[in-house]
Amino acid sequence: MHDIRYDELHDEFLVVNPFAEAVLTFRGGSNGQESPVRILQGPHVKTGGTRLDVDPVHNEIFVPDGNKIRVYPREANGDVAPIRIIQGPDTQLERAESLAVDPINNVLVVGFNKLGDEPDGAILVFNRTDNGNVKPKAVIRGPKSGIIRINQIAVYPPKKLIVAAMPGIEEMMEPPNAFLGIWTYDDNGDTPPKWKIPIGPKTTLKKPFGVTLNPKNKEIIISDMRVNGVLTFSVPEVF
Amino acid sequence: MAKMRWFVVLALLGTATQLVMSRESGLVHGGAQQTRVIGSERLVFVEPLPEAGGEICEPVPASREAGREETLIAALQQRQDARVASLEARNAASQDRSKMKPVRWIHDPYAAFSSVAVDPINNEVVLTDENLFQIMVYNRTADTPRSARLTEPKRIIAGLNTKIEFQCGLYIDPKNGNIYAVNNDTVDTLVIFDRTAKGNAPPTRELHTPHGTFGIAVDEATEEMFLTLQHDSAMVVFRKYAEKDESPLRLLQGDATGLADPHGIALDSKNGWVFISNHGSVSSRTAGADERPSRRNAQKQNWPKGRAEAVPGSGRSLPPSIVVHSMKAQGNASPLRVIQGPKTQFNWPTGVAIDEQRGELYVANDIGNSILVFNVTDSGDAAPKRVIQGPKTNLRNPTGVWVDLKNNEIWAANFMNHSATVYPLSASGDVAPLRIIRSGPLDEPSLGIGNPHPVAYDSKREQILVPN
Repeated sequence: MHDIRYDELHDEFLVVNPFAEAVLTFRGGSNGQESPVRILQGPHVKTGGTRLDVDPVHNEIFVPDGNKIRVYPREANGDVAPIRIIQGPDTQLERAESLAVDPINNVLVVGFNKLGDEPDGAILVFNRTDNGNVKPKAVIRGPKSGIIRINQIAVYPPKKLIVAAMPGIEEMMEPPNAFLGIWTYDDNGDTPPKWKIPIGPKTTLKKPFGVTLNPKNKEIIISDMRVNGVLTFSVPEVF
Repeated sequence: MAKMRWFVVLALLGTATQLVMSRESGLVHGGAQQTRVIGSERLVFVEPLPEAGGEICEPVPASREAGREETLIAALQQRQDARVASLEARNAASQDRSKMKPVRWIHDPYAAFSSVAVDPINNEVVLTDENLFQIMVYNRTADTPRSARLTEPKRIIAGLNTKIEFQCGLYIDPKNGNIYAVNNDTVDTLVIFDRTAKGNAPPTRELHTPHGTFGIAVDEATEEMFLTLQHDSAMVVFRKYAEKDESPLRLLQGDATGLADPHGIALDSKNGWVFISNHGSVSSRTAGADERPSRRNAQKQNWPKGRAEAVPGSGRSLPPSIVVHSMKAQGNASPLRVIQGPKTQFNWPTGVAIDEQRGELYVANDIGNSILVFNVTDSGDAAPKRVIQGPKTNLRNPTGVWVDLKNNEIWAANFMNHSATVYPLSASGDVAPLRIIRSGPLDEPSLGIGNPHPVAYDSKREQILVPN
């Protein structure tokens, strides 16, 4: 699985099964071989993405899929078509692999992947309600941004922050310059992150893959593929 | 009591320091933004705002029309310069600044065995470890006493040079004991080591494989090597001695094949059959030529169609199964037989092995915590003829299985309890293992983390959710 999201409002968590092209919603606290409460799958769904995020306020699920982003009703079950699709040349979407939605500030943040000699990745910022061939509000990309690819994104609405795991060159087992970066919604262009937790012997990070936030305890939680574990950092200054 | 006071003082000092540092590390809004490396020992980078900051332009009197355009251009230039200075300052601050340590670390320090193979000639057993990225070689007869923390392996192959990461399939060359080890998901390379390799040694030979290889089997008679591909629900057959960018000899992929998230693979060379276990998740691939070949398969023949060639909306979740094909099967061939249904007890059937002498198929039934034994001729909703399962067996999420016909033993690699277990070939029911090799202390919990991609936080239960 390449993504998992907890919906605090409805006490559910969601994952994507990319092999079966399915979005699975489980009851919070599910254990063992408990079945999902909803499965979004079928010819009308057409989801080919591996990541997702859920907007519990407006009841929507967002799934990135290369050059498009599909939006489904949160409570959809079975073979349900998307209610919106962001797609077209103006969107600049390509290799869209990860995303995060902010239902408070109505922002959708999208991260690009990179494989081989493809161009470096990027972070794109859209309006939450965007539909069709729309231009992004901002595009963070370039050598100063340090972005090669983005694997998982979290947002922190109170401070309008984008928190992204940047694991570096996919083909390298321990790529140099991988980091956890934090940008703001106002950033645009070739902008370095405002805060950064880099890989290294002190942080013990090697290849940060996933990120989630625990605002109550002012912590950033990072899954690291090469550590094959999960690390929690206390960062009160961010929250 | 004195110690307690000191503790209180230190705590207060720590709190005060934290408050000061938090205040100092606050953002400078509207001015130069700096990348801050954050943490308990963080450096607080201080840089004055550029003198001609973006928002601090000299006001232009409304009455002064002459030169207004020039002033505006100068102001814009000034703003641009300030932005460049701001970015440079932020970028400069991002370099090598971290002294931060995590406050908590979830990590299993012990090996988690994922696959197993026996070298009967040299009396050794080889195990892959998906947790610490190692290949570990033990004496075949090693048996960890209950009082021991673990058994030290004779040899360990590990390190960046080895290209070992999430290894899930093993084969031992019966001619020379060379180790063939399959990387799943993250390193698209099959690595082959000399029998005596150890340490951070580069592989003797490498083969660049399609993405998501899992199982491996070799037919020594024809010198063909079979690999399953999880991600694209396919099987490829290479020359046994293939290396680098060599193409497969054959490809088995398509809706008719019955392949659906395939894992383990085993050969019955006597009958010319190949057995493949499937977890059940699959999507169809487009018909016709590959219009968008992956960069990974440029100019290669018999390469599987990848995710980019998936038919949108074709994804489906099928019951787990074992499909039986001819060893010569290719294209979108239908299986000779399918073992599938509730009587099979399949619950993530993963590693498989064949006893050609007795005509039996062994299945490492991951979630079922069992080893299932079938006849190689079984078909449909067949019940296993023997089941090794129960608290005495020490089986816990077995993902690898191996039949040692020289010593009449069956081996299991248990992913979730730091152990490999050995049973007599005829074992059935809740039987204690003949021997156990442990990689960690008895009762030390195994975390089961293997390739943690994303992560989520359940704020209601204050739990971290880690899918693999």
